[in-house]
Amino acid sequence: MSIKINHLTYIYNMGTIFEKKALDDVTIEIQKGEFVGLIGHTGSGKSTLIQHLNGTISPTMGEILLDGENIHKDKTKLKQVRQRIGLAFQYPEHQLFEMTVYKDVAFGPNNMKLSEEEVDKRVKEALQTVGLPETVYEKSPFELSEGQKRRVAIAGVLAMNPEVLILDEPTAGLDPKGRDEILYAIKQLHKQRGITVVLVSHSMEDVAKLVDRLIVMHRGKVAMTGTPREVFAHAEQLEEMGLAIPQISYVLRQLRKKGYCLPEDIYTVEEAVKALYAFVKKGEEV
Amino acid sequence: MEMIKAQDLSYEYIRVTELEQGTKEEKILALNHVNLEIEKGSFVAVLGHNGSGKSTFAKHINALVRPTDGVLWVNGYDTKHEELIWEIRQSAGMVFQNPDNQLVATVVEEDIAFGPENMGVAPTEIRKRVDEALKAVGMYEYKEHTPSKLSGGQKQRIAIAGVLAMKPKCIVFDEPTAMLDPMGRKDVMDTILRLNREEGMTIVLITHYMDEAVLADKVFVIDDGNMVLEGTPKEVFAQVEKLKSYGLDVPQVTETAYELKKLGISIAEDILTVEEMVGAICQLKSTI
Repeated sequence: MSIKINHLTYIYNMGTIFEKKALDDVTIEIQKGEFVGLIGHTGSGKSTLIQHLNGTISPTMGEILLDGENIHKDKTKLKQVRQRIGLAFQYPEHQLFEMTVYKDVAFGPNNMKLSEEEVDKRVKEALQTVGLPETVYEKSPFELSEGQKRRVAIAGVLAMNPEVLILDEPTAGLDPKGRDEILYAIKQLHKQRGITVVLVSHSMEDVAKLVDRLIVMHRGKVAMTGTPREVFAHAEQLEEMGLAIPQISYVLRQLRKKGYCLPEDIYTVEEAVKALYAFVKKGEEV
Repeated sequence: MEMIKAQDLSYEYIRVTELEQGTKEEKILALNHVNLEIEKGSFVAVLGHNGSGKSTFAKHINALVRPTDGVLWVNGYDTKHEELIWEIRQSAGMVFQNPDNQLVATVVEEDIAFGPENMGVAPTEIRKRVDEALKAVGMYEYKEHTPSKLSGGQKQRIAIAGVLAMKPKCIVFDEPTAMLDPMGRKDVMDTILRLNREEGMTIVLITHYMDEAVLADKVFVIDDGNMVLEGTPKEVFAQVEKLKSYGLDVPQVTETAYELKKLGISIAEDILTVEEMVGAICQLKSTI
């Protein structure tokens, strides 16, 4: 399933003194099975954009096509759209409410009037995908760690079997271990289920490790798009937009500026170790 | 002299979880005989995974919770004594994760004035304090704005100004940048560093961001209620494997240096910043 956003404009409080253009002629295409990172500083328009994808708000101008069909055309079909495009909000664990983990994840599929067997299958698959063991199924979600709670909440969205999963800052407020567990779970589900994933994040280190393509939003417009390699090559421009490149990329950049011959496109620790090792060893041989 | 001193500080509570049939009660030891001293005017970072007890420790400094065993002194006041609560809270202010939960007024300067007003400070003095506090966080030109229209980083700086107006000697920050974008994070961290270096404010920073902790004079690591590591950032972050076992991380440059060392490259283990890493690599090249 492809998503096509055509000339999307959204204006808040139109006709009042508080009028504000949150999205300004945005055109994006997301292919089936793609893993896309959406970055931009607070107020850049990324949250407004994902709310449109889920049909939570309607465009002022422009349209969003899901497999060629305008999702806002028929309001009665919005429920279907939301099942196909799942959205995990920021701090999704605040929306947990059931007595057990199992019941919380089953809430969505139960509302879809599926058979009991189908619900059971989906709940178990979803919890397995996010890496939660059977021992927690009957626990209260409130007994779990912060990272586990968040994975339960994401499983709740997954259990609706969406074709697209949108995650709004899934690692905010988590410790490094919790963060790695969530990111690993997202990576696995993208690989196993082949679904389209849109990851909204402030962490350049995280998106560098995961996504196929980055979309950078700035002042309501798409400022850049490309692979992390292509986007991180424009460090100065990103900084002007209040963003940054991963810490390790700065090391390589500064070394290059000093005239050392090192690759430009390094943005993970693994790549840096390899490149710097080769660089230091090369000197020794000469 | 120390601003904060903990002696065998312990905190135990009973967690009640609702189950389908009845409830379950368990004893949780959130802090287990913690001993530490934080010098006046120093900047310390407290690290630990979610649920490690670091927020519980922070709440003790503000007397939001009191020790169930042991003693905690803040600016010389024993937090066990309920009648000292105002002295304690004026000594140590607190800034929390979510700025939206800390702002009360609809105009920025009124929000800053809220604290000193409650303390019975004279109006002319309040005016002075509000202006000073807003200048200290670089938000003076926003004094007549509405907090809700500001960015996350700006809101958080307003929350800091609100604490500053009460003239504390120490500020405890509980993950102040968790909800901010990179620019907002940098603004808040610059403000914290300036308060420490220029105004001599004692800073206790609780964070999950290792690149923030490397800026501190001293780092404490709490794991399941126990104080497991303490030292300068260089001493603490050099222990990569140990930190990972506590569910923590090290900055990307530190990890890169650690991996290079494992491959047999002779590079320092305690590299914390981009500049240090660049320097170390240049040195390796020049000695060859």
